[in-house]
Amino acid sequence: MLATLVTAVINGLRGELVRVEIDVAPGLPVCHIVGLPDTALSEARERVRGAIRNSGFEYPMSRITVNLAPADRRKRGAAYDLAIAVGILVASGQIRRGGNGWALLGELSLSGTAEPITGVLPMAATLVRQGYRRVIVPAANEAEAKLVHDIEAIGVEGLDDAARLIAGPRGRRAALASRRTAVELSGPRPESRRTIKPSASFATSIEPVDLADIRGQQHARWALEIALAGGHNLLLVGPPGAGKTLLARAIPGLLPPLNDEEALEVTVIESVAGLLRDGGLRRARPFRAPHHTSSYAALVGGGPHLIPGEATLAHHGVLFLDELAEFDRPALDALRQPIEEGVLTIARATGRVRYPARFQLVAAMNPCRCGYHHDPDRKCRCPTGDPERYVRRVSGPLLDRIDMQIEMARVPPADLLGSGRPEDSASVARRIMAARDRALRRNGGRPNAHLAGSAVQSAASLTGTGKELIREMAADRHLTARSVHRLLRVARTVADLAGRADVADEDVLAAGVLREPGGVMDDRLAA
Amino acid sequence: MPRDAERVAWIALASVSGIGEETFALLLAAFGDASNTFRATLDGRLDEWMADRRRVDGRPPFPARTLAALREAAHDPADRMAGIEALGLWSFTPLDSGYPARLRDLPAPPAVIHGLGDPVALSRPRAVGVVGTRRPTPAGRLLAARVAGRLVECRATVVSGLAVGIDGAAHAATIEHGGTTVGVIGAGHCRPGPRAHDRLRAEVIRSGGAVISEHHPQTKASKGTYPRRNRIIAALSDAIVVVEAPRKSGALTTAKHALELGRPVFVAPGRVGDWSTEGSLSLLRETPVRPFVGLDELTEDLGYFSSLPAATINKPGDGIADRKPALALLGPSERAVAERICVGPAGLDLLVAQTGLPPGVVSGAITLLLMRGWVQAHGPAFVAAGPLAAR
Repeated sequence: MLATLVTAVINGLRGELVRVEIDVAPGLPVCHIVGLPDTALSEARERVRGAIRNSGFEYPMSRITVNLAPADRRKRGAAYDLAIAVGILVASGQIRRGGNGWALLGELSLSGTAEPITGVLPMAATLVRQGYRRVIVPAANEAEAKLVHDIEAIGVEGLDDAARLIAGPRGRRAALASRRTAVELSGPRPESRRTIKPSASFATSIEPVDLADIRGQQHARWALEIALAGGHNLLLVGPPGAGKTLLARAIPGLLPPLNDEEALEVTVIESVAGLLRDGGLRRARPFRAPHHTSSYAALVGGGPHLIPGEATLAHHGVLFLDELAEFDRPALDALRQPIEEGVLTIARATGRVRYPARFQLVAAMNPCRCGYHHDPDRKCRCPTGDPERYVRRVSGPLLDRIDMQIEMARVPPADLLGSGRPEDSASVARRIMAARDRALRRNGGRPNAHLAGSAVQSAASLTGTGKELIREMAADRHLTARSVHRLLRVARTVADLAGRADVADEDVLAAGVLREPGGVMDDRLAA
Repeated sequence: MPRDAERVAWIALASVSGIGEETFALLLAAFGDASNTFRATLDGRLDEWMADRRRVDGRPPFPARTLAALREAAHDPADRMAGIEALGLWSFTPLDSGYPARLRDLPAPPAVIHGLGDPVALSRPRAVGVVGTRRPTPAGRLLAARVAGRLVECRATVVSGLAVGIDGAAHAATIEHGGTTVGVIGAGHCRPGPRAHDRLRAEVIRSGGAVISEHHPQTKASKGTYPRRNRIIAALSDAIVVVEAPRKSGALTTAKHALELGRPVFVAPGRVGDWSTEGSLSLLRETPVRPFVGLDELTEDLGYFSSLPAATINKPGDGIADRKPALALLGPSERAVAERICVGPAGLDLLVAQTGLPPGVVSGAITLLLMRGWVQAHGPAFVAAGPLAAR
């Protein structure tokens, strides 16, 4: 007897429909899975057998063939378990097919419980697009699936629940009274593993810091405010202990929440990456801080199974790269495309995907290997020429895409102990939000950092003296067209923060120092 | 033996890698002159002499590597000379009248010097060495530039080592002020010091100065070559100014060579406990150098008054007071920032903290001051420049 069910697979960030065909025919008792399955999928036959038996059904002693169509696409993971198990039950006549049009997503454990899977949100969205209106998902994924409109998502605890739904109220033939007691014997069922997913917490486990707890660094705080208000990429250069990382840890508390559209995109990404913990819509702007030993694939995405990287996880949020110069150079250079275009295109033998990656880059680095180059009080221990080499590890084209570079000095101990409370994150966040809104309204939904060419000039609407100032600066510092635009973009944000409709001369001057002409990064140009 | 042939042989011999002035003197003592040394190399007398020396001293006078290089050069000294000339270098040996007279003060003057630029720059009446660390503080860099600027006003040639840091600042400031400067490099002309200074070396030559080396053009810099060139800097100068020297700085050896030659040495003292002037302070404590306390005092001690206009000579010290007229031209926030910078180098954060102005205002003021050239950036710190810099 033949059963056909529908499930889905993730490719990149999109779901794709997969049909599961199950044929149960007389013959030697074997189970074949065809349609390019990977190891986890091939092992489905063992999980499915256990789940069926332990849910009080009978595993048919016949020849079982499972075909996953389309057959030419490689399939992986355990998300098909539920569909395969239900398909076997239908094909072997243990449940009668009740309501049609159910799609099934979910992994099974040997006890028959449905385990949560990743990527439910985009898969459910694909099912809707393909005309399916009902989907069965593991209970832990229910909230996530319900984020999709026009689909009825039902969470199930296990295979028996799913069978009951498929069969309808009267379709159940076998007596299911004895759902296996193994579960009770082993004590209460452990909480869904979703709640203890370490990978979810590590990269984001940076303890948030309030600006009120950061002393000194007035200049850097100001620069950070501008960067976040305008979405400008920011590089902090300074000796160890200057407070670069501390300042970066204050970023999550300063970012405005995501709007509806952004929230959905971010939630899809997190769903595929398995980072959705509560299943709800993600409202907080992502803040990702990968370690500098992260591999190329971890940073930009890819790997044998094509998973989204940190750049994509930081979509609509901030990607913080601490110790920028220590990162793998090819990985850093691969970030140039997303910084420019907001997407990452990855081609592998297994397929070609485009990941969205419109993130704001915030990076921090030491001025040299030992960290004390240019420090007035401590001697730099690097060999001559080494600080310049160290700085050169960050390629020019990448630096060129960073609107703001600031240098931080160590905070004198006296300042650390000073009295008075610095401004807290909440009030700074309010200013950032206001400036951002102003910019988005004026630029048609784009932050200032994404303005290019003539758009910058019209947005800035400079006064006569302002233009004169820019011309003078450009001649003085040998600025390229790109640098002039950079200057204008930052000046625009400075004006937005001050609530000015036009960019005033003082905004241009203030922006002029945000890429310091004598900074460490410009040493390479100095004779 | 015609004198020209001997000169060629001399230069060829002195340019053999591994032969410094001591070995050179030894060979000359043994074989009379350079041409004869080459002949001896080819006919076996050198080997006999080497064997003798080994018997007496217990070791050969120079390593086998040097011997091999010497043999190679002996085959065609004229060829080696031509190779050097082809690079556009001029060479002087102590046989030549053009050999800088000051170098003859050395107990063992370099057997040859190769140079680019104007050889006259080596023998001008006033020459002062300005030396210091490769890793100066912003204040040190600025001081080096100011010393160089003042020396130019006194029509003195500024001698230094073309290294990064103080040396570079001194050379660059000299050129900027229209003066003449001499750079002594610690390697051959084909492999000169830091690549970062390629442009500076060209500028030194273009502005009428000279770049010299005692090494064969192909010699690579090694551990010993830099300290050795310091004795040439000391010898070419009438006096040495040590701007900033941490412990173990090469500038300390320059100072010691100068003292041995009887040249006056002026050392800028630093604050007690600063790493950047530890070496300078130990010089002041342990050797008969003189403290360098101000530009006017320096010119006075050097005996260089005449070319300065009276007004400049009578200028009072380094206080902010002299810079008042310049400060008056600025707006209130720029003035506040400028006044703070006149006290000493400061980063943006310090400026914000100490002026009490908002970061945006301080940044704007700095940009304006930078554009006017009244402030210069040195790493994260800003220092006074132009009319704000004390003379």
